[in-house]
Amino acid sequence: MEAYEDFHKLVSDLRDGRIFGSTEAAEKALLFIKNQISSCETVKEIKNTLISYVPPLIKARPTSALTVNCLREVIELTIDCIKKKLSSNEIKEKICNKIDQMLKEAHESVEVIAEIGAKRIRDGDTILTNTYSYTVLKVLEKAKEEGKNISVFIPESRPGGEGIDMAVELYKRKFPVTLFVDSAVRYMMKEVDLVLIGAEAIAANGAVVNKIGTSMIALAAHEARVRVFVAAGTYKFSLETFLGEVVELTYRRPEVLLSSHELRALGNVKVLCPAFDVTPPEYIDAIITERGVFAPQAVPLIVREIFGWPPLVKDIGMLINELKRC
Amino acid sequence: MNYTLPAEVLQIAEDIRSMKIRGAGRIARAAVKALKIAALAYKGSELEDFYEYMKYTSKLILATRPTAVSLPNAVAYVMSRLSKNIESFTLEEARSKVAEWADEFIEYSLRATELIGEIGEGRIKSGDTVLTHCNSSAALSVIITAHRKGKDIKVYACETRPRFQGRITVRTLAKEGIDVTLIPDSAVRFFMKDVDLVVVGADTVAANGAVVNKIGTSMIALAAHEARVRVFVAAETYKFSPATVIGELVTIEERPPTEVVSEEFLKKYPGIKVRNPAFDVTPPEYIDAIITEKGIISPHAAILVLKEEFAWALEDRMKKLKLAVEYETE
Repeated sequence: MEAYEDFHKLVSDLRDGRIFGSTEAAEKALLFIKNQISSCETVKEIKNTLISYVPPLIKARPTSALTVNCLREVIELTIDCIKKKLSSNEIKEKICNKIDQMLKEAHESVEVIAEIGAKRIRDGDTILTNTYSYTVLKVLEKAKEEGKNISVFIPESRPGGEGIDMAVELYKRKFPVTLFVDSAVRYMMKEVDLVLIGAEAIAANGAVVNKIGTSMIALAAHEARVRVFVAAGTYKFSLETFLGEVVELTYRRPEVLLSSHELRALGNVKVLCPAFDVTPPEYIDAIITERGVFAPQAVPLIVREIFGWPPLVKDIGMLINELKRC
Repeated sequence: MNYTLPAEVLQIAEDIRSMKIRGAGRIARAAVKALKIAALAYKGSELEDFYEYMKYTSKLILATRPTAVSLPNAVAYVMSRLSKNIESFTLEEARSKVAEWADEFIEYSLRATELIGEIGEGRIKSGDTVLTHCNSSAALSVIITAHRKGKDIKVYACETRPRFQGRITVRTLAKEGIDVTLIPDSAVRFFMKDVDLVVVGADTVAANGAVVNKIGTSMIALAAHEARVRVFVAAETYKFSPATVIGELVTIEERPPTEVVSEEFLKKYPGIKVRNPAFDVTPPEYIDAIITEKGIISPHAAILVLKEEFAWALEDRMKKLKLAVEYETE
């Protein structure tokens, strides 16, 4: 995967959803940081690189728990290294290794999720998904590899239309794909056996933050007694939510919905394009992670296993301040 | 037998088919207008032939859109009167009567939309936020009447893919000076917490009170139901479907994929199937009330409206049904 050279372009692509999945979003952000760090000469430069680039990257996509979690680890590592008085070269090496390792782990866990998730798919299933998700794509690929005949239903996923991109990806992998408008989800639900979606973030109560429209899909599935599975690694748990923080839901520019010319023609009209919504845990049958399948309500259990209890999470803002003081 | 119809009639039929004329009320009015034009342009001299010619015209118009029941009901408004009285008419009388009934229906329909506004606005309180979908004259009549009576309201309107009728709605409401926000269809549940009531139109109301309306309506009603937000359907009585009383299902029209994606996309990815249902069915349990020009009713009381308004049509259908059954048992 190529790294971005232009920071402003990266930030605007993250914000406006041109980097579709949250896994890709995190990858792009981390690779950018890695590139910048590699060209630093002094410890001060490393510090300044993180201080100036990390907050805007997070602000561009605050919902992406993977991005937040990985960047937090990078800053914590840097603070630790500076305290240990390591040389700039040693710090650079450690940060770059850390980023490589996190990216590797993220990919490996997707492989495991695919392995586990594919088991929940039966031969002949019609699966409905929403928007572009790398993890969902991997699960579907795995099920197909196992010889299961599956067909995929997908809404176009406005604003942005990432559902169309996902349909093309599925088409390239020779899945039978059916595309329709977002408002037709309930109409189609009777023909669906299983809903499979990815996640931007998973909150402490098991609620799932994902592309706008996901919670409507889950509601329509719930009504039709169609099961809803979320495929997401544990690195997408939003640790901040354990401290009572609320996942900040961003809006996209009105221009993703209609051209500025069309916008003017409407007259005195507001346009609101939320990028994400929250699906409550009661509409989710299970979360498929690299550590296994479990109920959304069991999220705290897994968090305790990985991060201890209560999870010691430092706020990014606090960490940046700490870094400034070192 | 084939007839050559006036170009204007063919144009109306084409405009209904291509959705240049859309919305159940507008379709109904355009349909009877076409009947009137056809009647006045009739060049023949035989009453019997005129009747055949009118039936031919009706068929052509009825074939344009399968879902909206306002179309057959409007045509039946004129044609049932014609069939009942044809024997006592001269050709001239028949022609002028068709024109008269057509005007009568159009006037009735416009008045009905107004009345719905008057009756429905009572359900909106000052300070309310209303969510609407697509572009329904009846629903807009309710919202605009409330605003004109000085109620301070806010409106969320869905853009309504694939054809963006929501954009027409927001333009109309903004011109009225109403505080209006356009949202994507996928964001309905996101905004439902801020909404006090949903007002939508209907293409067809079935005998059990289920409402057939623009695709997405049933999702909105479901999300409203979940959030305990009331759902009102604004529908003239000519949108109630007599055919459903004898068990017929409403056909849901699936329209061409090119309304959703481009021709090039379809050629480039021939394996991607694109489905484009134009309507969906909202079950009566998600509807709090239907606002008609005759008053507000519970959706479960739809049969009442049907019995009152379409007694003749129901009798006619039942008679045919019984005849068919007798024929089969013989």
